[in-house]
Amino acid sequence: MSADAYFDILKRKIKFLLNIGIFAFKVFFMTKDKLSYKLIKILKSTLAAIAVPVFFIYVMISKPDYTIMNGLAHVVLPVANFVGDVVTWPIHVVGNSITWVRETSQIRAENKRLREKLDTLLSQKYEYEVALAENKRLEQELDVKKSSPYLTVVADIQFNDSVFHHTAFLINRGTKSGLERGMVVVSFDNRMVGMISDCGSQFCRVRALSDSDSNIAIRIAGADVAGFLQGNGKTGASVGFFSDTQFSGRQGLKVITSNISGILPSGIYVGDMIDENRVDVLSPNKISRVLVLKFDNNGSYK
Amino acid sequence: MNNVKAVFFTLFPFLVTIFLWRLSVYFWNPGGILALIPIFYYTFVKQTDWFAGFALLFCFLIDYRCGLPLFWTSIFCLAYAINGFQKYVDIPHMDRNAMYLFMLFTGAGIFILIFANLTWKNLINNLWLFVWLNVLYMPITSIDSLFKYKRKSITDTR
Repeated sequence: MSADAYFDILKRKIKFLLNIGIFAFKVFFMTKDKLSYKLIKILKSTLAAIAVPVFFIYVMISKPDYTIMNGLAHVVLPVANFVGDVVTWPIHVVGNSITWVRETSQIRAENKRLREKLDTLLSQKYEYEVALAENKRLEQELDVKKSSPYLTVVADIQFNDSVFHHTAFLINRGTKSGLERGMVVVSFDNRMVGMISDCGSQFCRVRALSDSDSNIAIRIAGADVAGFLQGNGKTGASVGFFSDTQFSGRQGLKVITSNISGILPSGIYVGDMIDENRVDVLSPNKISRVLVLKFDNNGSYK
Repeated sequence: MNNVKAVFFTLFPFLVTIFLWRLSVYFWNPGGILALIPIFYYTFVKQTDWFAGFALLFCFLIDYRCGLPLFWTSIFCLAYAINGFQKYVDIPHMDRNAMYLFMLFTGAGIFILIFANLTWKNLINNLWLFVWLNVLYMPITSIDSLFKYKRKSITDTR
Protein backbone atom coordinates (compact mmCIF):
# COMPACT_ATOMS: atom_id res chain seq x y z
CA MET A 1 0.00 0.00 0.00
CA SER A 2 1.33 3.44 -0.93
CA ALA A 3 1.76 6.19 1.65
CA ASP A 4 -0.99 8.33 0.07
CA ALA A 5 -3.49 5.49 0.14
CA TYR A 6 -2.57 4.75 3.75
CA PHE A 7 -3.18 8.39 4.85
CA ASP A 8 -6.44 8.53 2.88
CA ILE A 9 -7.74 5.51 4.77
CA LEU A 10 -6.52 7.02 8.04
CA LYS A 11 -8.32 10.30 7.32
CA ARG A 12 -11.52 8.45 6.49
CA LYS A 13 -11.27 6.47 9.74
CA ILE A 14 -10.80 9.63 11.83
CA LYS A 15 -13.67 11.31 10.02
CA PHE A 16 -15.89 8.31 10.67
CA LEU A 17 -14.94 8.15 14.38
CA LEU A 18 -15.60 11.88 14.89
CA ASN A 19 -18.94 11.69 13.12
CA ILE A 20 -20.24 8.85 15.28
CA GLY A 21 -19.17 10.72 18.43
CA ILE A 22 -21.70 12.01 20.89
CA PHE A 23 -21.88 15.44 19.28
CA ALA A 24 -21.29 14.30 15.67
CA PHE A 25 -18.68 16.91 14.70
CA LYS A 26 -19.01 18.11 11.17
CA VAL A 27 -15.63 17.13 9.78
CA PHE A 28 -13.99 18.06 6.56
CA PHE A 29 -10.52 19.16 5.79
CA MET A 30 -9.50 22.77 5.46
CA THR A 31 -8.38 23.90 2.06
CA LYS A 32 -6.09 26.78 2.86
CA ASP A 33 -3.24 26.00 0.52
CA LYS A 34 -1.17 29.13 0.75
CA LEU A 35 2.27 28.29 2.13
CA SER A 36 2.63 31.64 3.91
CA TYR A 37 -0.72 31.11 5.67
CA LYS A 38 0.30 27.64 6.78
CA LEU A 39 3.71 28.80 7.99
CA ILE A 40 2.30 31.69 10.00
CA LYS A 41 -0.33 29.41 11.51
CA ILE A 42 2.29 26.84 12.53
CA LEU A 43 4.54 29.57 13.92
CA LYS A 44 1.72 31.05 16.01
CA SER A 45 0.68 27.62 17.27
CA THR A 46 4.28 26.78 18.16
CA LEU A 47 4.58 29.99 20.16
CA ALA A 48 1.31 29.21 21.95
CA ALA A 49 2.50 25.66 22.67
CA ILE A 50 5.79 26.96 24.07
CA ALA A 51 3.93 29.51 26.23
CA VAL A 52 2.02 26.80 28.17
CA PRO A 53 5.02 25.19 29.95
CA VAL A 54 6.64 28.63 30.32
CA PHE A 55 3.53 29.90 32.14
CA PHE A 56 3.40 26.76 34.26
CA ILE A 57 7.04 27.08 35.32
CA TYR A 58 6.60 30.81 35.98
CA VAL A 59 3.57 30.19 38.23
CA MET A 60 5.51 27.53 40.15
CA ILE A 61 8.63 29.67 40.56
CA SER A 62 7.05 33.05 41.19
CA LYS A 63 4.42 31.92 43.69
CA PRO A 64 3.13 33.81 45.74
CA ASP A 65 4.47 37.20 44.55
CA TYR A 66 3.97 36.91 40.75
CA THR A 67 6.09 40.04 40.30
CA ILE A 68 6.15 40.10 36.47
CA MET A 69 2.47 39.20 36.17
CA ASN A 70 1.36 41.82 38.69
CA GLY A 71 3.69 44.41 37.13
CA LEU A 72 2.12 43.80 33.73
CA ALA A 73 -1.38 44.00 35.23
CA HIS A 74 -0.52 47.36 36.84
CA VAL A 75 0.00 48.77 33.34
CA VAL A 76 -2.68 46.89 31.37
CA LEU A 77 -5.55 46.95 33.87
CA PRO A 78 -5.94 50.76 34.16
CA VAL A 79 -5.83 51.11 30.36
CA ALA A 80 -8.38 48.31 29.88
CA ASN A 81 -10.58 49.83 32.61
CA PHE A 82 -10.47 53.22 30.91
CA VAL A 83 -11.40 51.76 27.51
CA GLY A 84 -14.05 49.61 29.22
CA ASP A 85 -15.51 52.69 30.92
CA VAL A 86 -15.81 54.42 27.55
CA VAL A 87 -17.43 51.36 25.93
CA THR A 88 -19.87 50.73 28.77
CA TRP A 89 -20.74 54.31 29.72
CA PRO A 90 -24.43 54.07 28.68
CA ILE A 91 -24.89 51.05 30.96
CA HIS A 92 -23.14 52.83 33.83
CA VAL A 93 -25.20 56.00 33.35
CA VAL A 94 -28.45 54.00 33.49
CA GLY A 95 -27.21 51.91 36.44
CA ASN A 96 -26.05 54.96 38.40
CA SER A 97 -29.35 56.75 37.75
CA ILE A 98 -31.36 53.79 39.05
CA THR A 99 -29.11 53.58 42.12
CA TRP A 100 -29.49 57.33 42.72
CA VAL A 101 -33.30 57.18 42.53
CA ARG A 102 -33.42 54.14 44.82
CA GLU A 103 -31.05 55.67 47.37
CA THR A 104 -32.87 59.00 47.37
CA SER A 105 -36.17 57.30 48.06
CA GLN A 106 -34.63 55.46 51.00
CA ILE A 107 -32.86 58.44 52.56
CA ARG A 108 -35.83 59.80 54.57
CA ALA A 109 -36.63 56.46 56.15
CA GLU A 110 -32.94 55.84 56.82
CA ASN A 111 -32.55 59.27 58.41
CA LYS A 112 -35.37 58.54 60.84
CA ARG A 113 -33.86 55.16 61.72
CA LEU A 114 -30.38 56.65 62.16
CA ARG A 115 -31.64 59.39 64.50
CA GLU A 116 -33.20 56.77 66.75
CA LYS A 117 -29.99 54.76 66.65
CA LEU A 118 -27.92 57.86 67.42
CA ASP A 119 -29.96 58.59 70.54
CA THR A 120 -29.43 55.05 71.80
CA LEU A 121 -25.72 55.14 71.03
CA LEU A 122 -25.21 58.52 72.71
CA SER A 123 -26.76 57.14 75.86
CA GLN A 124 -24.27 54.24 75.78
CA LYS A 125 -21.30 56.46 74.90
CA TYR A 126 -20.46 57.58 78.46
CA GLU A 127 -20.52 54.01 79.69
CA TYR A 128 -17.95 53.00 77.01
CA GLU A 129 -15.77 56.04 77.67
CA VAL A 130 -15.41 54.99 81.28
CA ALA A 131 -14.58 51.42 80.18
CA LEU A 132 -12.04 52.74 77.65
CA ALA A 133 -10.24 54.85 80.24
CA GLU A 134 -10.20 51.89 82.58
CA ASN A 135 -8.84 49.66 79.79
CA LYS A 136 -6.04 52.15 79.01
CA ARG A 137 -4.99 52.29 82.63
CA LEU A 138 -4.91 48.47 82.80
CA GLU A 139 -2.87 48.29 79.59
CA GLN A 140 -0.31 50.69 81.05
CA GLU A 141 -0.12 48.64 84.22
CA LEU A 142 0.32 45.38 82.27
CA ASP A 143 2.71 47.01 79.74
CA VAL A 144 0.62 45.92 76.76
CA LYS A 145 1.75 47.48 73.46
CA LYS A 146 -0.88 47.88 70.78
CA SER A 147 -0.57 48.91 67.18
CA SER A 148 -2.70 51.78 66.10
CA PRO A 149 -3.40 52.85 62.53
CA TYR A 150 -1.70 56.06 61.41
CA LEU A 151 -3.07 55.97 57.91
CA THR A 152 -6.71 55.38 57.14
CA VAL A 153 -7.83 55.55 53.54
CA VAL A 154 -11.44 55.35 52.39
CA ALA A 155 -11.84 53.34 49.18
CA ASP A 156 -14.72 52.23 47.00
CA ILE A 157 -15.05 48.65 45.84
CA GLN A 158 -14.64 48.77 42.06
CA PHE A 159 -15.18 45.13 41.15
CA ASN A 160 -16.25 42.18 43.18
CA ASP A 161 -14.49 39.29 41.51
CA SER A 162 -15.62 36.41 43.67
CA VAL A 163 -15.41 33.46 41.33
CA PHE A 164 -14.47 29.80 41.57
CA HIS A 165 -12.78 29.32 44.95
CA HIS A 166 -11.36 32.84 45.08
CA THR A 167 -12.94 35.84 46.74
CA ALA A 168 -11.05 38.93 45.70
CA PHE A 169 -12.09 42.46 44.90
CA LEU A 170 -10.53 45.62 43.52
CA ILE A 171 -10.60 48.96 45.32
CA ASN A 172 -10.08 52.34 43.68
CA ARG A 173 -7.04 53.45 45.73
CA GLY A 174 -3.45 52.41 45.17
CA THR A 175 0.17 53.31 45.87
CA LYS A 176 -0.60 56.96 45.02
CA SER A 177 -2.81 57.06 48.12
CA GLY A 178 -0.06 55.47 50.21
CA LEU A 179 -1.42 51.93 50.14
CA GLU A 180 0.84 48.90 50.17
CA ARG A 181 0.59 45.16 49.98
CA GLY A 182 -0.33 43.54 53.30
CA MET A 183 -2.46 46.40 54.64
CA VAL A 184 -5.67 45.53 56.45
CA VAL A 185 -9.03 46.32 54.88
CA VAL A 186 -12.00 46.80 57.21
CA SER A 187 -15.62 47.77 56.80
CA PHE A 188 -17.00 51.02 58.20
CA ASP A 189 -18.12 49.20 61.34
CA ASN A 190 -14.48 48.11 61.88
CA ARG A 191 -14.95 44.52 60.85
CA MET A 192 -12.08 42.93 58.94
CA VAL A 193 -12.82 42.22 55.27
CA GLY A 194 -9.42 41.15 53.96
CA MET A 195 -5.86 42.11 53.17
CA ILE A 196 -4.31 43.84 50.17
CA SER A 197 -2.65 41.19 48.01
CA ASP A 198 -1.45 43.42 45.17
CA CYS A 199 -1.21 47.15 44.69
CA GLY A 200 -1.12 49.21 41.50
CA SER A 201 -0.79 52.97 41.29
CA GLN A 202 -4.53 53.62 41.35
CA PHE A 203 -6.05 50.33 42.40
CA CYS A 204 -5.44 47.47 44.81
CA ARG A 205 -6.58 43.89 44.78
CA VAL A 206 -7.87 42.72 48.14
CA ARG A 207 -8.00 39.09 49.19
CA ALA A 208 -11.13 38.55 51.26
CA LEU A 209 -11.12 36.34 54.35
CA SER A 210 -13.18 33.68 52.59
CA ASP A 211 -10.63 33.32 49.75
CA SER A 212 -9.10 29.84 49.76
CA ASP A 213 -5.60 31.40 49.86
CA SER A 214 -6.40 33.46 52.94
CA ASN A 215 -4.91 32.24 56.23
CA ILE A 216 -4.69 34.61 59.18
CA ALA A 217 -3.86 34.32 62.87
CA ILE A 218 -6.85 34.83 65.14
CA ARG A 219 -7.79 34.79 68.81
CA ILE A 220 -11.03 34.17 70.62
CA ALA A 221 -12.03 37.41 72.34
CA GLY A 222 -12.06 37.05 76.11
CA ALA A 223 -10.21 33.72 76.08
CA ASP A 224 -6.55 32.83 75.84
CA VAL A 225 -7.09 30.67 72.76
CA ALA A 226 -5.46 31.37 69.40
CA GLY A 227 -5.72 29.70 66.02
CA PHE A 228 -5.58 30.15 62.28
CA LEU A 229 -8.53 31.14 60.15
CA GLN A 230 -8.54 29.60 56.68
CA GLY A 231 -10.82 30.70 53.84
CA ASN A 232 -13.06 28.04 52.25
CA GLY A 233 -13.70 29.70 48.93
CA LYS A 234 -17.19 31.09 48.81
CA THR A 235 -18.39 29.08 51.79
CA GLY A 236 -16.81 31.41 54.35
CA ALA A 237 -13.93 30.63 56.67
CA SER A 238 -13.13 28.15 59.40
CA VAL A 239 -10.57 27.81 62.15
CA GLY A 240 -8.08 25.07 61.32
CA PHE A 241 -6.98 24.36 64.88
CA PHE A 242 -6.98 26.00 68.28
CA SER A 243 -3.89 26.48 70.46
CA ASP A 244 -5.82 24.88 73.32
CA THR A 245 -6.76 21.37 72.19
CA GLN A 246 -9.42 21.13 74.91
CA PHE A 247 -11.18 24.21 73.58
CA SER A 248 -14.27 23.74 71.50
CA GLY A 249 -15.80 26.60 69.56
CA ARG A 250 -19.48 27.44 69.87
CA GLN A 251 -21.97 29.77 68.30
CA GLY A 252 -21.67 33.42 69.24
CA LEU A 253 -18.01 33.56 70.28
CA LYS A 254 -16.25 36.67 68.97
CA VAL A 255 -13.15 36.14 66.82
CA ILE A 256 -10.50 38.87 66.60
CA THR A 257 -7.11 39.06 64.88
CA SER A 258 -3.95 38.01 66.67
CA ASN A 259 -0.36 39.07 66.06
CA ILE A 260 1.03 35.55 66.58
CA SER A 261 2.55 35.30 63.11
CA GLY A 262 3.58 38.97 63.04
CA ILE A 263 1.50 39.73 59.97
CA LEU A 264 -1.58 41.32 61.48
CA PRO A 265 -2.09 43.72 64.37
CA SER A 266 -4.15 42.23 67.15
CA GLY A 267 -7.66 43.11 68.16
CA ILE A 268 -9.45 43.69 64.85
CA TYR A 269 -12.91 42.14 64.91
CA VAL A 270 -13.20 39.30 62.35
CA GLY A 271 -16.63 37.78 63.00
CA ASP A 272 -18.72 35.52 65.19
CA MET A 273 -18.39 31.76 65.35
CA ILE A 274 -21.28 29.85 63.76
CA ASP A 275 -20.41 26.40 65.11
CA GLU A 276 -17.32 24.51 66.33
CA ASN A 277 -15.05 25.72 63.52
CA ARG A 278 -16.84 27.98 61.10
CA VAL A 279 -16.72 31.76 61.43
CA ASP A 280 -19.20 34.18 59.91
CA VAL A 281 -16.83 36.50 58.03
CA LEU A 282 -17.96 39.61 56.17
CA SER A 283 -18.53 38.95 52.49
CA PRO A 284 -17.36 41.73 50.11
CA ASN A 285 -20.62 41.61 48.16
CA LYS A 286 -22.43 43.06 51.20
CA ILE A 287 -20.42 46.30 51.21
CA SER A 288 -19.51 48.96 48.67
CA ARG A 289 -16.98 51.03 50.59
CA VAL A 290 -14.09 50.08 52.86
CA LEU A 291 -11.36 51.53 55.05
CA VAL A 292 -7.72 50.60 54.52
CA LEU A 293 -5.55 50.73 57.63
CA LYS A 294 -1.82 51.13 57.79
CA PHE A 295 -0.26 50.42 61.14
CA ASP A 296 2.60 52.22 62.82
CA ASN A 297 5.12 49.42 63.08
CA ASN A 298 6.36 49.28 59.48
CA GLY A 299 4.96 45.98 58.34
CA SER A 300 6.15 43.90 61.28
CA TYR A 301 3.46 44.00 63.91
CA LYS A 302 4.85 43.54 67.41
CA MET B 1 -21.47 57.09 7.49
CA ASN B 2 -20.39 53.92 5.75
CA ASN B 3 -16.88 54.42 7.07
CA VAL B 4 -18.21 54.71 10.62
CA LYS B 5 -20.20 51.51 10.12
CA ALA B 6 -17.15 49.75 8.72
CA VAL B 7 -15.01 50.83 11.68
CA PHE B 8 -17.71 49.73 14.14
CA PHE B 9 -18.18 46.30 12.56
CA THR B 10 -14.44 45.77 12.29
CA LEU B 11 -13.97 46.71 15.94
CA PHE B 12 -17.06 44.80 17.09
CA PRO B 13 -15.22 41.65 18.30
CA PHE B 14 -12.83 43.80 20.34
CA LEU B 15 -15.60 46.01 21.71
CA VAL B 16 -17.83 43.14 22.76
CA THR B 17 -14.90 41.51 24.59
CA ILE B 18 -14.08 44.73 26.48
CA PHE B 19 -17.79 45.28 27.14
CA LEU B 20 -18.34 41.87 28.71
CA TRP B 21 -15.08 42.02 30.65
CA ARG B 22 -15.78 45.50 32.04
CA LEU B 23 -19.38 44.73 32.99
CA SER B 24 -18.37 42.31 35.68
CA VAL B 25 -21.09 41.75 38.24
CA TYR B 26 -21.08 39.49 41.24
CA PHE B 27 -22.73 36.14 40.47
CA TRP B 28 -23.80 36.97 36.86
CA ASN B 29 -20.43 37.87 35.41
CA PRO B 30 -17.75 37.51 38.10
CA GLY B 31 -14.34 38.76 37.00
CA GLY B 32 -15.74 39.45 33.54
CA ILE B 33 -15.71 35.71 32.82
CA LEU B 34 -18.36 36.09 30.09
CA ALA B 35 -15.66 37.67 27.92
CA LEU B 36 -14.50 34.07 27.32
CA ILE B 37 -17.39 33.76 24.86
CA PRO B 38 -16.16 36.34 22.30
CA ILE B 39 -12.58 35.32 23.06
CA PHE B 40 -13.34 31.76 21.95
CA TYR B 41 -15.68 32.67 19.10
CA TYR B 42 -13.50 35.27 17.39
CA THR B 43 -10.31 33.26 17.87
CA PHE B 44 -11.42 29.82 16.78
CA VAL B 45 -14.76 30.08 14.99
CA LYS B 46 -14.94 33.40 13.19
CA GLN B 47 -11.24 34.06 13.17
CA THR B 48 -10.54 37.78 13.16
CA ASP B 49 -7.31 39.52 12.26
CA TRP B 50 -5.23 40.60 15.26
CA PHE B 51 -7.75 39.14 17.66
CA ALA B 52 -5.65 36.27 19.07
CA GLY B 53 -3.18 38.61 20.83
CA PHE B 54 -6.04 40.69 22.16
CA ALA B 55 -7.79 37.53 23.40
CA LEU B 56 -4.60 36.45 25.17
CA LEU B 57 -4.44 39.82 26.92
CA PHE B 58 -8.03 39.56 28.10
CA CYS B 59 -7.54 36.00 29.31
CA PHE B 60 -4.69 37.43 31.37
CA LEU B 61 -6.95 40.19 32.72
CA ILE B 62 -9.70 37.70 33.61
CA ASP B 63 -7.09 35.62 35.43
CA TYR B 64 -5.75 38.63 37.27
CA ARG B 65 -9.17 39.67 38.50
CA CYS B 66 -10.23 36.13 39.40
CA GLY B 67 -6.99 35.50 41.32
CA LEU B 68 -6.10 32.58 39.05
CA PRO B 69 -2.52 33.21 37.91
CA LEU B 70 -2.34 32.58 34.14
CA PHE B 71 -4.98 29.84 34.29
CA TRP B 72 -7.34 30.77 31.44
CA THR B 73 -4.33 32.24 29.59
CA SER B 74 -2.69 28.80 29.63
CA ILE B 75 -5.92 27.03 28.63
CA PHE B 76 -6.33 29.50 25.76
CA CYS B 77 -2.72 28.98 24.59
CA LEU B 78 -3.18 25.21 24.77
CA ALA B 79 -6.40 25.36 22.76
CA TYR B 80 -4.77 27.71 20.24
CA ALA B 81 -1.79 25.38 19.81
CA ILE B 82 -3.98 22.29 19.42
CA ASN B 83 -6.17 24.08 16.87
CA GLY B 84 -3.15 25.26 14.93
CA PHE B 85 -1.55 21.84 14.65
CA GLN B 86 -4.69 19.91 13.73
CA LYS B 87 -6.45 19.89 10.38
CA TYR B 88 -9.16 17.31 10.97
CA VAL B 89 -11.81 19.39 12.71
CA ASP B 90 -12.85 22.48 10.77
CA ILE B 91 -14.02 24.67 13.63
CA PRO B 92 -15.25 27.63 11.52
CA HIS B 93 -17.77 25.34 9.80
CA MET B 94 -19.01 23.40 12.80
CA ASP B 95 -22.69 23.44 13.72
CA ARG B 96 -24.08 25.87 16.30
CA ASN B 97 -21.01 28.13 16.11
CA ALA B 98 -18.87 25.27 17.50
CA MET B 99 -20.75 25.40 20.78
CA TYR B 100 -19.69 21.88 21.72
CA LEU B 101 -16.06 22.85 21.47
CA PHE B 102 -16.77 25.89 23.64
CA MET B 103 -18.32 23.51 26.17
CA LEU B 104 -15.14 21.47 26.03
CA PHE B 105 -12.98 24.60 26.39
CA THR B 106 -14.83 25.98 29.43
CA GLY B 107 -15.62 22.53 30.80
CA ALA B 108 -11.94 21.55 30.90
CA GLY B 109 -11.02 24.71 32.78
CA ILE B 110 -13.91 24.53 35.22
CA PHE B 111 -13.30 20.81 35.80
CA ILE B 112 -9.75 21.60 36.95
CA LEU B 113 -11.01 24.44 39.15
CA ILE B 114 -13.59 22.18 40.80
CA PHE B 115 -10.80 19.86 41.93
CA ALA B 116 -8.62 22.77 43.02
CA ASN B 117 -11.10 23.36 45.86
CA LEU B 118 -13.52 20.51 46.20
CA THR B 119 -16.49 21.60 48.30
CA TRP B 120 -20.21 21.28 47.58
CA LYS B 121 -20.75 24.99 47.35
CA ASN B 122 -17.84 25.51 44.95
CA LEU B 123 -19.00 22.55 42.89
CA ILE B 124 -22.47 24.09 42.52
CA ASN B 125 -21.03 27.54 41.81
CA ASN B 126 -18.71 26.19 39.13
CA LEU B 127 -21.48 24.14 37.55
CA TRP B 128 -23.69 27.24 37.51
CA LEU B 129 -20.92 29.21 35.79
CA PHE B 130 -20.45 26.44 33.22
CA VAL B 131 -24.18 26.33 32.44
CA TRP B 132 -24.48 30.13 32.36
CA LEU B 133 -21.50 30.53 30.00
CA ASN B 134 -22.90 27.95 27.61
CA VAL B 135 -26.45 29.25 27.75
CA LEU B 136 -25.22 32.69 26.74
CA TYR B 137 -22.85 31.41 24.06
CA MET B 138 -25.40 31.16 21.26
CA PRO B 139 -27.16 34.51 21.88
CA ILE B 140 -23.89 36.42 22.12
CA THR B 141 -22.29 34.80 19.09
CA SER B 142 -25.49 35.17 17.08
CA ILE B 143 -25.30 38.98 17.37
CA ASP B 144 -22.39 38.92 14.94
CA SER B 145 -24.38 37.11 12.25
CA LEU B 146 -27.08 39.81 12.39
CA PHE B 147 -24.67 42.26 10.79
CA LYS B 148 -24.75 42.36 7.04
CA TYR B 149 -21.28 43.86 6.95
CA LYS B 150 -18.61 41.43 5.82
CA ARG B 151 -15.63 41.68 8.16
CA LYS B 152 -12.22 40.84 6.79
CA SER B 153 -11.35 37.50 8.31
CA ILE B 154 -8.47 35.07 8.03
CA THR B 155 -10.48 31.94 7.35
CA ASP B 156 -13.98 33.16 6.81
CA THR B 157 -15.29 31.08 3.91
CA ARG B 158 -18.98 31.32 4.77
